[in-house]
Amino acid sequence: MPAEAFAEGVPLITVSHFITQAAVRAYAEASGDFNPIHLDPEFAAGSHFGRRVAHGMMIAASTSEMMSTEFGHAWAVSGRMKLRFRAPVFPGDLIRARGVVTSVEDLGGDRRRVSCRVETVRIDPDTGQEQVAITGEATVVA
Amino acid sequence: MDYGALKPGDVISTRRCEVDADLVRRYVKAVDDRSDLTDSGIVPPMALAALGVRGVVQDLGIPGGTLHLGQEIEFTSPVDAGETISCTAEMVRNSVRGGQRVLVIDLTVRAGGDRLVMKGKSTIAVPA
Repeated sequence: MPAEAFAEGVPLITVSHFITQAAVRAYAEASGDFNPIHLDPEFAAGSHFGRRVAHGMMIAASTSEMMSTEFGHAWAVSGRMKLRFRAPVFPGDLIRARGVVTSVEDLGGDRRRVSCRVETVRIDPDTGQEQVAITGEATVVA
Repeated sequence: MDYGALKPGDVISTRRCEVDADLVRRYVKAVDDRSDLTDSGIVPPMALAALGVRGVVQDLGIPGGTLHLGQEIEFTSPVDAGETISCTAEMVRNSVRGGQRVLVIDLTVRAGGDRLVMKGKSTIAVPA
């Protein structure tokens, strides 16, 4: 979408992913984060979550993917986001990253600062219920 | 690790790594990133953040019950696959809240020597 098409209230492209334990393992190997809460079923069973959880940064990647999809190269050179992790995401969950433009500031010279409210929800595979996993704000100069 | 002994200003991790094409491929596959940016030879920006956090996780010996509470990230320059990055993590705040030790850590990632490519701030809670 061209930058001039963004206006307050415009929704961003939604990004969805199915989170598998294999993907969590692959993320651990790519990122070097082998915390047993993500990988060891016995350890995770004794944690306050009761089972293995996905890495927060793995789930946050869906927000960055959404912003990259919308804003392309501009996201890599001027993207900012401030995220709060509110609930764990479990292997087996579907996640959905979504957002909406909250403001557009004209910076002159065809440049705009686009601010967005973003969130990622997990969808429980058993109940189909949504739970907010990540909330935050993202800004990009496009 | 005595997390209570960490003070603001302490550099807790400095690491360098080459973000080679294989690492990028494995990262993209793990997060299933389908954005066009991943086809352009640019390292997905969040991969830089993940590598920045890696030093914190590994050098602090973060225990299993740790919670990642929040993350701030600012990308300032793209990184091409094959570039070498350096990641620095520095303690900003160390406090105890509700039975948990909350650490706020600044992350800085540079490429090509001194080119700033990412800044960030991680907030984590380790069992006190």
